[in-house]
Amino acid sequence: MTQKPLELILARNLMSALSTPAFLVDEGGVLVFYNEAAGTLLGKRFDELGTVGPEEWGSMFGPFDEDGEPIPYDELPLVIAVRNGRPAHADFEISSVDGTRQRVEASAFPILTAHGSRGAIAVFWPAAASNGTGR
Amino acid sequence: MRVKLWGTRGSVPSPGPETIRYGGNTSCVGVTLSDGSMLALDAGTGIRSLGLALAAEPARLHILLTHLHLDHIQGLVFFAPAFRAQTEIVIWGPASPEASLRDRIARYISAPLSPVEVRELPCDVSFHHCPEAEWEIGPARIRAASVAHRGPTLGYRIDDGGSSLAYIPDHEPALGADLDELEEDWISGLGLARDATLLIHDGQYEDAEYPEHVGWGHSSVSHAISFARRAAAERTLLFHHDPMHSDAQLDELGRRARERWVELGGDASGIDLAMELAEYELPVRAASVAPAT
Repeated sequence: MTQKPLELILARNLMSALSTPAFLVDEGGVLVFYNEAAGTLLGKRFDELGTVGPEEWGSMFGPFDEDGEPIPYDELPLVIAVRNGRPAHADFEISSVDGTRQRVEASAFPILTAHGSRGAIAVFWPAAASNGTGR
Repeated sequence: MRVKLWGTRGSVPSPGPETIRYGGNTSCVGVTLSDGSMLALDAGTGIRSLGLALAAEPARLHILLTHLHLDHIQGLVFFAPAFRAQTEIVIWGPASPEASLRDRIARYISAPLSPVEVRELPCDVSFHHCPEAEWEIGPARIRAASVAHRGPTLGYRIDDGGSSLAYIPDHEPALGADLDELEEDWISGLGLARDATLLIHDGQYEDAEYPEHVGWGHSSVSHAISFARRAAAERTLLFHHDPMHSDAQLDELGRRARERWVELGGDASGIDLAMELAEYELPVRAASVAPAT
């Protein structure tokens, strides 16, 4: 058994209690969890999907820019947060399992500890409910 | 490996006739390794008695601090070996982005809280942040990992002679988590406790007390039992007794814990309450138990 770092455990526990869609990646960029609200947004629960490697999750549900073009993996807020150790924000469209597209805003921030990066968290927000300023 | 409990109380020293059997001293566990090396796990007020009991002064002694709450460091300035020039004391503890381990401990060992400063201690004392990777002290392999509590807090696992001791005295693994349902790798501290010969674990609250203390960093007895079962520890000691719990209350708490343990299919001897001055000899086994990662 490989124990997850405490910071990821606590992040997951917190995210599990939130109704805000939230995603969690480890320091290697592997998607290790998303909560029920995120599952509703995507049309698929995390326990149906399981962990997903970097790059792979970036293309599973889009995302697409305002012209409908796929956004490069390196430009996703979660990827910027985990790779560069800084927060990032963007708005884009995602595609759920049934093909429905939704515009969302996403904010991601790194999980940094005394021993370095543990990963990153992203929270999504329906774009219609916010004053999005674009990528 | 020989283990002696010098302080089993949590939060604040609680001496008095009503706590005389389980003890009123705060967290400290003495560990004698198979080569005679000495470790102290935490330095609550129990370490004062440990220091007085060290007849033959060890040249070198390691103190492994889980965290720096006062009930885990209060005994440092009353630890007799610290006031002897011939003693070397190596203090291990959690790293913090805020300040070094030495500087954080010095906030206690300095005016106005203490009559002496760290630099005035006659012993040779050094401070080390615990590494993420396993390390060795004498014949033992030591592993530290962050666990769910308030502030930077570690649990420890010590493997020596084929036996293992897991020490997680302040721990709330059930905070926002269902310990019976969650995958093992997502349970705080489980990697340290996995298959331990002896697990010393937080069991501060009665179940009825826990709802008013959610997020305080400690476990209810039921949560401690769930954790111990998931860890498959051979024997578990519930530790860090609430200062409000008298010996009579702890007797009853222990009785119910054993009852629940047996209901869940365990052996009645598999769980007990930590009692000050109790000693445990962990068996020497031919093959070393590989620590969980």
